[in-house]
Amino acid sequence: MTESVVRIASIYPTLLGTYGDGGNVLALVHRAVLHGLTTEVVDVAPGEHLPRDADLYVLGGGEDTAQVAAADALRADGGLHQAVNRGAAVLAICAGYQLIGHEFPDATGAASPGVGILDIRTDRLPKRAVGELLAKPDSQAPAAMTDLLTGYENHAGATHLGPDARPLAQVEFGVGNGDGSEGAISGQVLGTYLHGPCLARNPQVADVLLGWVVGENLPTLVEREVEELRAERLDFVRRSGR
Amino acid sequence: MNVWSIIGATPQYCRRHIADDTTYGCPATGESRGDRTTGHVRVAHKVTFMARKLRTRMAITAGRMASATSRIAGRGEGMVVGGRVMLKLAPDAIADLANGRVAALVSATNGKTSTTRLLANAVEQLGPVVTAATGANMTSGVVTTLASGPPDATAVLEVDEAYLPMVTAATKPRVILLGNLSRDQLDRMNEVAMTARKWRAMLAEHPEVTVVANADDPVVTFAAEQAPRVVWVGGGQVWTADSSVCPECGTLLTRTEHDWNCTGCGRKRPETSWELQWTDGVGTAVSRLGQELDLSGLQLPGRFNASNATLALAVAEQLGLGLEESVRRMCQVQAVSGRYAIVDVGALRIRLLLAKNPAGWTELIDVMPGAPTPVIVSINSNAADGRDPSWLWDVPFEKLRGRTVIATGDRRRDLAVRLLHAQVDHVVIADPYSPHAPLPPEARALEVIDNAATYTAFHELRTRAQREASND
Repeated sequence: MTESVVRIASIYPTLLGTYGDGGNVLALVHRAVLHGLTTEVVDVAPGEHLPRDADLYVLGGGEDTAQVAAADALRADGGLHQAVNRGAAVLAICAGYQLIGHEFPDATGAASPGVGILDIRTDRLPKRAVGELLAKPDSQAPAAMTDLLTGYENHAGATHLGPDARPLAQVEFGVGNGDGSEGAISGQVLGTYLHGPCLARNPQVADVLLGWVVGENLPTLVEREVEELRAERLDFVRRSGR
Repeated sequence: MNVWSIIGATPQYCRRHIADDTTYGCPATGESRGDRTTGHVRVAHKVTFMARKLRTRMAITAGRMASATSRIAGRGEGMVVGGRVMLKLAPDAIADLANGRVAALVSATNGKTSTTRLLANAVEQLGPVVTAATGANMTSGVVTTLASGPPDATAVLEVDEAYLPMVTAATKPRVILLGNLSRDQLDRMNEVAMTARKWRAMLAEHPEVTVVANADDPVVTFAAEQAPRVVWVGGGQVWTADSSVCPECGTLLTRTEHDWNCTGCGRKRPETSWELQWTDGVGTAVSRLGQELDLSGLQLPGRFNASNATLALAVAEQLGLGLEESVRRMCQVQAVSGRYAIVDVGALRIRLLLAKNPAGWTELIDVMPGAPTPVIVSINSNAADGRDPSWLWDVPFEKLRGRTVIATGDRRRDLAVRLLHAQVDHVVIADPYSPHAPLPPEARALEVIDNAATYTAFHELRTRAQREASND
């Protein structure tokens, strides 16, 4: 398909890695191998500069203090803005999703400034959202996303999309953004509350991200273990009712 | 005459009775089990009652009745409910019962039950010891443990991390052992730093206590470093994800294999007096005086238990115990509340391994035999396991490559996806213990197969083994 290497930057895994988020990077590498792509992963520690030449930047979830520290470090670095301007892809989960927006609540609930590469604002949900999250890709989501999105959510953020962002999906079970939508996309920046990790449970999302990087849609590849897990989780959610 | 002992100014009593007042049989006189009319038991209880406040005594009786009711109803050991009743009736029962005889409190995220057992076995060289046999480690479990056994038996108590400050204040222990701190469940992530701060404040209020602490855990170090009397032990730390940044200034810690430091505030691994040396699967504890204590005879497996033993030996030294004798007694511990026990479940004989969190799993993987020996891994996601099994991705299952892993438990499919990404061969089987389960032949051929399990999966297996054994 292509000889080039997909360069993945895992941003501050020590700060933003609460929910098995390293699994998203593993899933990206795994899917890339299935598609015959070569990958290179760089872990970026807080205090280090973001690589200026990565194709895909990944941010995970983290607790409140770590989230503020990560947002401050990323604003000071400035690398994420440059990355988005040159068309790199970004995947941001949970706390990472919140902090790439304009503002998000800190541990006390006060608004803390985000990195601002996604047109979203987050404040507090009346009640913390913890549990399975199931969502149907939004009509404006990339066409390659056809399967239901499944994952687990654990956050207190109500996320409001501005005009430059569109929802990733519509919630079927769970809370998501808090207004019936889930996640957000703008250009090649994708944010979501789904963990589990997200890409292991939703390989189509991994393929969309990799497709953005290589500039073409990747063929459908199905793995038995993943399909069995998805079927079981979907069944669990349906039995849970609502 | 060695089964008799003198307690205070009272006459001779049967030690077996006194050490465990639920056993109503005397090895010396051969009086039968269940006979509470003998002088031994009655007098021993009379002494117990005289030394304690009336309120505590009434609470003990009420608590025992509640425990018995719970046991009869088949709801387990009844320690927790009995303890709750006791504390309701006599809120200061812990302090009253502790009464200067608490030798040590043991706390950690992982290994506190095993460490407590190892230490309690060593302390028995001084005489009777009370210690929780079941890992009941919150205030209700602590009070029930203290109310059991003779009133002046030395107490060695396992204490839940969050309850440690309260139990320390009430029991005034001679030594506190602090092993490690990491996240238990994902939704309890914030608690690691908070617990460390609470421990630090607790030690500031109790300068008389000697602390034995693991210098390899930066969070434990932060908790213990200002205590006036600390014995630092190099116990090792395999799981570093919850102590990646300095607990005080937030700077990313710099680590080498046996050292760590903070470039932000200058905090560094304290100089240790005790060290665990771990070479080719065999542990040696090196004491502050350079004495080498061979831990190869420990029946509890793995580097982690050798570390637990080293921490316990450092406490034993503070209590003035013979170290060689302590090691000998620690080597007699076979299984702790079912952990590492070999049991029959269905058609398989398994060694039960429990891990409750990513740190515990990381340690446990090293305990299992190397490839190509197959192992069973049971993953549940009930409340006590954590509802969200995303932590599977934090555990280095890659280390299991080169063998077949039998994935089971309610969340076996999550495990299968994790193993797929770790490039570990696996089969997914709902009931691998069934005689007809499609196990790989090399698993069927094993005399004993290791079965690592999350908390509720572990207890399901234990219960099933007990039920099947009693049906035989």
